[in-house]
Amino acid sequence: MVETDTAKDDPFFIDFAGRIRQLQAAMADAGVDVYLASRLRTLSWTLDAFCPWRSFVVIPPHGLPTALTFVIDAARVADDSWLDEDHVLGYGPMGGQDQIPLLKDLIKPHLPGGKGVVGIETGMGTYLPEGHLTHLEYQYLSAALPDARLSNVHDLVDRLSLLADEGTVNRFREASRIVDIGHQAVYRAVQDGGYEGMTETELAGLAAYEMRKAGSEWEWSFTGGNEIASGYRTGLAAGACTPASRRVLRRGEPLMVDLHAMFKLGLGDHAHNYLLGEATPRQRWHAQNFVDTVQLCLDTYRAGITPSSLADSVLDFCEQGEFAEYMVPGFEHGIGMLGDEWRIGLNEGPFPYWTNPEHEYQAGELLICAMQYACPEEEIGFRYENPILITGRCCEALSEFPLSVDEV
Amino acid sequence: MEERFQYLSPEWAQEAQRRLQADLTPEKMKHLTSSMLTVYTGCPGGADCAVYYRVVDGVVQEVSLAEGDLPEAEFTITAGYDTFARISQAELKARAALMSGKMTLRGNLVKALRLAPVVDRLNEVLSTIPTDY
Repeated sequence: MVETDTAKDDPFFIDFAGRIRQLQAAMADAGVDVYLASRLRTLSWTLDAFCPWRSFVVIPPHGLPTALTFVIDAARVADDSWLDEDHVLGYGPMGGQDQIPLLKDLIKPHLPGGKGVVGIETGMGTYLPEGHLTHLEYQYLSAALPDARLSNVHDLVDRLSLLADEGTVNRFREASRIVDIGHQAVYRAVQDGGYEGMTETELAGLAAYEMRKAGSEWEWSFTGGNEIASGYRTGLAAGACTPASRRVLRRGEPLMVDLHAMFKLGLGDHAHNYLLGEATPRQRWHAQNFVDTVQLCLDTYRAGITPSSLADSVLDFCEQGEFAEYMVPGFEHGIGMLGDEWRIGLNEGPFPYWTNPEHEYQAGELLICAMQYACPEEEIGFRYENPILITGRCCEALSEFPLSVDEV
Repeated sequence: MEERFQYLSPEWAQEAQRRLQADLTPEKMKHLTSSMLTVYTGCPGGADCAVYYRVVDGVVQEVSLAEGDLPEAEFTITAGYDTFARISQAELKARAALMSGKMTLRGNLVKALRLAPVVDRLNEVLSTIPTDY
């Protein structure tokens, strides 16, 4: 293994063996004999390794879990993970070595007489790489384990991962520190007209290079890595997703820079905004509206509030300022170790697999404060994102890049 | 006249062990320590049969026929008698048999792929045994 955080004095140490024991206790309480995890978030949470290929973790009632991933990546996953090579297996297109027979071999010994409950992870999501068990996988597994009952129990992991432990928070802090380095590099590049002739993709790459030099493993977001938007693209109606395009940056336009870095599966995600060249009074009005609203939002986060109550406060403020029509009415999204994105808290809201608007924040929760201001008719918009840690009476914003819309 | 051996007979197993020990040095075997069970389905007579190989630090210490309760091995390879016979006669490559599903492997695939050249060497030696199928 390249690096294993076994020393408890390592700030990035996470007790993965302890997590497994917690999950096994929860499985016992729920009557689950063996847990078959397939979601990316569970893979990250249990393995401490990035699993880009279809992967599974089989968690027995006692002892170590066994991961199963595409054979071309199994040795690397074992090298990165806290598990040894006997607990990270590869699958491939060979007799007895494709996914289902291997999963059956791993699961069946934990089902007395072939009977019992196999916990699985399925559901819906807005996030494409969720990794829910597919319908076909479900059918094949059901056929391979005819006397077992497959039961959807992802809430066991969701509940245990709701509050971030110290090692996780420190990984997120480090990822945010790296993102700030990316933002500093972007600021240096675009200041004093440096943006002239640059493209959005170029800016995305420039930031990526600086963040990689600082130790980022990748620009983890499935939305295209570093999201850069300029001009009209910043103000797309209700939009908050802008993979960088080949568009050339132009004087007189807004620029939105949304950077992503990853450190040991902890995620950095911070957006900063610019006005290129001398801004108009109207552009400054929009910019001030946005900055004031973000500040209010950050000042409001604390344990005990809900997404719904936060939205009420923030939208009231926007209404008073007569710019509510430009605020996209959602101010956060969930976050956890890689693969855990979008929904906040548990799946208990009025719409399946969406954030419960009445979810009550607790100290120790990580989320992304995510705000989008968009005025399509004036081709202007701004985005703010920052991982925040609910600390009790307030929140800690992990990225420390100053909140402003900079005129450069 | 060259002595010939009946495939999967005790004499064949004995000869296999003798040749493997003589022809494969620990270096050629990469000082491997492992065990392998080859399970033959549909042997002449209809029953299944098996051969157990044990290698310690690159030396083939055991080639034995297994019946009834099969021994535990790090790798278990299962195929029809005819498939194994074709592999032994170099008419079919083990890799092709695996990838077409004619042969199944139980055991850690990553380790198995790393050991594939060693197993190829082992099969090459076995193919030199004058054998009646």
